[in-house]
Amino acid sequence: MNQEQLNTKLAQIKDKLIAIEQKSDNRIFLLCEAENAYDVNKFLFEDVGCRFAIATGIDSEHCFEVLYHFSYDQLGCVITVKAFIRDRQNPAIESITPFLPAAEWIEREIHDILGIDFRNHPNLKRLILFDDWPQGVYPLRKEIRTSGAPASREPNQDAGYQ
Amino acid sequence: MSWKIWALKKSPWVFHVNAGACNNCDIEIVDLLTPKFDVERFGIKLVGSPRHADALLVTGVGTKQAAIRLREVYRQTAKPCVVFCIGACACGTGIFEGAYHVAGPVDKIIKEEDPNAIIAYVPGCPPKPEAMISGVVKALSVL
Amino acid sequence: MSVPLNVLFWVVVIPGTIVLGLVASWIVRKVSALVQYRVGPPIFQPFYDVAKLMGKEILIPEQAQQTVFMAAPLVGLAGLLLLSIMLWRITITGTAYLGDIVVAIYLMVLPSLALILGSSASASPHAAVGTSREMKLIMSYELPLVLAFIVVIIKTGGQLSLAAIAERAPIFSISGFLAFLVALLCVQAKLGFVPFDIAEAETELGSGVLMEYSGALLALWKLSQATMLVVLPLFLVMVFLGGFGTAGWPLLWGIGKYVLMLVLVILIKNTNPRMRIDQAMKFFWVYCGLTLAFAITLATIGNYCGIGWL
Repeated sequence: MNQEQLNTKLAQIKDKLIAIEQKSDNRIFLLCEAENAYDVNKFLFEDVGCRFAIATGIDSEHCFEVLYHFSYDQLGCVITVKAFIRDRQNPAIESITPFLPAAEWIEREIHDILGIDFRNHPNLKRLILFDDWPQGVYPLRKEIRTSGAPASREPNQDAGYQ
Repeated sequence: MSWKIWALKKSPWVFHVNAGACNNCDIEIVDLLTPKFDVERFGIKLVGSPRHADALLVTGVGTKQAAIRLREVYRQTAKPCVVFCIGACACGTGIFEGAYHVAGPVDKIIKEEDPNAIIAYVPGCPPKPEAMISGVVKALSVL
Repeated sequence: MSVPLNVLFWVVVIPGTIVLGLVASWIVRKVSALVQYRVGPPIFQPFYDVAKLMGKEILIPEQAQQTVFMAAPLVGLAGLLLLSIMLWRITITGTAYLGDIVVAIYLMVLPSLALILGSSASASPHAAVGTSREMKLIMSYELPLVLAFIVVIIKTGGQLSLAAIAERAPIFSISGFLAFLVALLCVQAKLGFVPFDIAEAETELGSGVLMEYSGALLALWKLSQATMLVVLPLFLVMVFLGGFGTAGWPLLWGIGKYVLMLVLVILIKNTNPRMRIDQAMKFFWVYCGLTLAFAITLATIGNYCGIGWL
């Protein structure tokens, strides 16, 4: 279907969204709260027929965001679902792995790095952090500025470059 | 110089190790070993096992997970051998300095295993194959 | 032969074969380089490789079976050198004996067997996969190789002596030509060259069969590969192409035939991709087997009816 038909189809779940933004041609953002993200993703995957590409986790200053990127291949259009997680103390969102198994690892990675809990995830184990890394320390959160090493600007003395 | 080092200079066999690289330097290394740059005239050959190798081409900042494996690979390389740090990340952590996953640049990891290791540096992001050839030849000529 | 020449022979034959083998392996690398439009290694490169390997330390895995691990390359090299002594004696002094072709076929299996033993003593999963593939490959090509030689024996009327076989040139006949093609491909597999280098370089990222070898043991494997490059084409020349003379024109002609064999091996090596093990097994059992069955029938008919060109 072409762009107008796609827009009309997306308007079907308008009541679950905060807003629909079209940033440019072939780039649509669907903003929603975390509670509705599961239904929006299910709608996009099953009814509209998009292909799941990747997910992104962002630590904004006052909330967490999880972005799910879907690709509508017939038009070359990328539809992104932007889910806001307002609770910064215990961030949680419903996992989409039960109907979309391809999302399993990227949700594990977001959990490792940002500490967002994915409810009903079948296998929420550590994926990419080092084995001895302490539990409960999430490296890419904004409160962790560095790993403790000062950001020095001295060149490495033993490097011996030519 | 001893005949072992002389023979090593005439026929250095390389093994490629990725210690947490973004694959940019790896692509350039594989590029280097194609017939276009013809490193076989120096006797350089890509081998599939570190036990056959004389030179380790290490790319990538040494992440904490890769550091364990890199030390194991270094132990399995038959001495005498040379370690080449390829790329800015391997020479001195590059843009990842102070990051949470870095276990030090590659020379720090290797020196923990063997303080007398022979290490050579080829900086660049990624270094061109011509730069890598020049680095390897210069390193072998000062051995 | 007179006594000093005899002594000279016994002193020179083993180092001479090894040196010839290293020169032949340089020829392979140089011609492959020229085919790929690049400059290849200098002439002493294989010697530098062996010298360097001798200078490295020998690492043996902790769980490897040490005796077999260390003895396997020696056994392979010893079998090949024995075969080379036999072949040189036959060409230079003509001391062939009845049944020596059987001994030669038996000795040719030894390096392949040593490879299997050495790699299975390595206690490494990569080497185990390489071992299983090498075993399947050996079981596939040994039978066609022996059958190809049986075609030649039938054509010479049942003579089992290499000197008698080396007098004729069975390649100038249909069954002999078919048997020669099959034998050439089996030799390619035995040398471990593409398209049949399934065992060694097959996990090109893992080096397969010889993965755990290093230092002087690896040098012995390289030397046995180099010696195979002398012995196996020489054997093919003696069986199919009419032997190797000792002086004058026959000597030059013999060297030319050996170089032709080497060039054929190199060309097949450079123009083919590597086969999978199941493709190789099907190739040897089905295609080579059927070709040889046909060739044996033709040879028997030719021998029975006295037709030379069948």
